[in-house]
Amino acid sequence: MKNKYLLGVFNDEDQVIDAFEELKEKKYPIEEVYSPYPIHEVLHGMGNKTYMTHAAFAIGVFAICGLIGAMYYISVISWPMIFGGKPSAAFPSFIVVTIVATILTITLGTIVIFQLRSKIYPGKKVTPIHDAATDDKFVIVLSHDEIETSKADVEAIFSRNGAVEVIEKESEKL
Amino acid sequence: MYNTEVRGKLIEGDKSLGQISKDIIHPIDQKTPKWWFISMGISLIMLMAGLYAKYVTVTEGIGSWGLNNSVGWGWAIINFVWWIGIGHAGTAFSIFLLILRQKWRTSINRAAEAMTVVAVMCAGLFPLLHMGRVWNFFFVLPYPNTRGPLWVNFNSPLFWDFVAISAYLLISASFWYFGMIPDFATIRDTTKSKIKKAVYGFFSFGWTGSSKEWLRYEALSFILGGIAAVLVVSVHSIVATDFAVSVIPGWHTTIFPPYFVVGAIFSGFAMVLTLVTLMRKLYKMNNFITDNHVDAVARVLIFISLIMGTAYATEVFIAWYSASKYEFYMLIQNRMLGEYAFQFWAMVICNAFIPQLFWFKKIRRNITAVFIISLFINVGMWFERFNIVITTLAKDYLPANWASYSPSYIEILLFIGTLGLFGAGVLMFFRYIPMIAIHEVKSVAKFDKPTAERKKRHHHEE
Repeated sequence: MKNKYLLGVFNDEDQVIDAFEELKEKKYPIEEVYSPYPIHEVLHGMGNKTYMTHAAFAIGVFAICGLIGAMYYISVISWPMIFGGKPSAAFPSFIVVTIVATILTITLGTIVIFQLRSKIYPGKKVTPIHDAATDDKFVIVLSHDEIETSKADVEAIFSRNGAVEVIEKESEKL
Repeated sequence: MYNTEVRGKLIEGDKSLGQISKDIIHPIDQKTPKWWFISMGISLIMLMAGLYAKYVTVTEGIGSWGLNNSVGWGWAIINFVWWIGIGHAGTAFSIFLLILRQKWRTSINRAAEAMTVVAVMCAGLFPLLHMGRVWNFFFVLPYPNTRGPLWVNFNSPLFWDFVAISAYLLISASFWYFGMIPDFATIRDTTKSKIKKAVYGFFSFGWTGSSKEWLRYEALSFILGGIAAVLVVSVHSIVATDFAVSVIPGWHTTIFPPYFVVGAIFSGFAMVLTLVTLMRKLYKMNNFITDNHVDAVARVLIFISLIMGTAYATEVFIAWYSASKYEFYMLIQNRMLGEYAFQFWAMVICNAFIPQLFWFKKIRRNITAVFIISLFINVGMWFERFNIVITTLAKDYLPANWASYSPSYIEILLFIGTLGLFGAGVLMFFRYIPMIAIHEVKSVAKFDKPTAERKKRHHHEE
C-alpha cells in the first residue's frame, strides 16, 4: 500500500534541527527523519528507545554461565585431567576464556539483534525516499494524511528554516 | 571536545557533505591506476611464493624449517607475534580513540580496521602451520569427541591464545563491516553504474539512514566498542602469557603482558602511519588525512616509544637487581653482547631512539620522514620479537643444549607470503571499499567551523 508523504529536504544539520524542533513544538506527527549521519537531537526527539544494551547484557550473562558451566563439566565432571597435581576446577584460569568468549558471543548476538530490530539484512532491496539522504541531504518526512489541514503551516516551517526542497511523494509505508 | 583552534582542521578545503562523499568514493569510480596492477602483481607473486612454502611445510613437515631441539620456535612465532601486534591498530584506533573521544580518528579508523583484519589473518596462519599436521587443527576445539573424550586444557595459555585470536578476528571483522554499511548505502545511492548499485546495494543491507536505524546503529557501535575495548588489553596479554608462564630466563617475567600490549599498539600505530602516508600520496587524500592527523599519530608514537625504551631498560635493570645469574646472563651477556647483539641493538635504536625524532615539528610535518620512521618502527618491532623468541631459546639453563638458529628459505618464503597477502588485501581495500569512513567524517565536518558559528546546542559534545 502506498502512502502520501510530505518531505522537507535540508542541506545543513543546524537547519534540520531547527525545523525538527519547531515541528515538534507545534505537535506535528513526524514520521521519520533521514540523515547521512546520526544527529543526536533528532534521535532523542523522535522518542524512540532501543533496548539493545539490555539485550547485550542478557546475552553476556547467558554466555558467562554457559561458558563456566561447560568448562566445569569438561574439566571436572567429564574427564578430570591431572596437571602436576593442580586442582581440576582451576577457576582462575577459566576467567580468561570466559572473558574473551563472552565478548565474542555478545558481539555476534548484538549484531543479529541489530539486524532483526532494524529490519536490515544482506541483499535487502530498498527504494530510498530521497536519493541523497545517504549522501548530503537531511530529510524530514511527515505523513500527508495526518497534516492535511495544516499543510501550509508545515511547508512554511520548512522554508523558514532553509529547506532546499519541499516535495510531496508517494512511497511504500515507512 | 575537539578544539580546532588548537589542533588544526579535521578536513581541509571547506568541503560540502556531497563533496566529501564524492572525494572518498572517487578511487572506487576512477579507472584502476597502473601502479595498482603492478603492486597487485608483486603481492600475488609473493603470495604464490608463500603458497609454495606452505605446500612444502605441509607435505614435508616442520623439518623443512630451520628449527632444532633447542630453538623450537623460530620465524613462525616471531611473525605471528609481529602480525598480531600490527593487528592491534584496529582496536586501538577505532575503540580506544572512540572512548577517548578523539575526533581525529574518524579519517583513519577505517584503514586501521581493514589492516587489522588482514594482519590477523596473516598472523593466524603461523600457529596453524606450526602445528605440523594442520589438517588436524580442529583438535584444539573443545567438542565431544571419540578420543577419550580427550578435552582441551583450559589452563593453557596456548588454548587461550587460540580463543583470543579467533575471537579477535571475528570481532574486528564485524566491527569493520558494520562500520561500512552506511557508506555502502552512500555508494549505492550515488553511483551511476548498475553493477555497482547491485553489488554495494547487496552489501548495504538496505540501509536508508532513518532515525530508527541510526539509533540502533549508535547503540551497536556503543556496545561493540565498549566490550571490544577489553580486547586491546586481552589479546596481546594472552600472547605474552604464552611466553611468561614458561620458566626460562628472559621469558619468565611479569612485565611481559603490559610490555607486549604497548609494543602491539606501537607497531599497529606505525603500520597505520605507513598506510595513511601511502593513501595520502597515492590517492591524494591529504584533505581528509591532514598534516594534523599525521602529527597526532606521531605524537602518540613518541609517547609509546618512551614507554618501550623504559620497558627495555627495566628488563635489563631487573636482570641485574634480581641477582639471578641466569637472568643477568640472558639479558646482558646474551642479548646485549652475545650472538644476536645486532638484533638487540637494532630493536633499541629503531623503537626507542629513532621515534624520538618526532619531537621536532619539522619532522612530524614532513611526510616522507614520517613514512621512513614508520618503516623503521615496523622493522624494529620485528627485531624485538626476534630478540624475545630466539635469544632465550638458543641459550637456556643447560649449556650442552645451546644452539644457534637461522631460518630456512621455507620460513623466509612463508613470511614473504604473508607480506604478499597483506599487500593484496590492502590493495583490494583501496580499490573496492571507501578507505575513509564517509559518514563519520561528515559528522565531524561541523567541528571545522569557527566555534562562534557553531550553535550552542553542541554543548553536549563539550
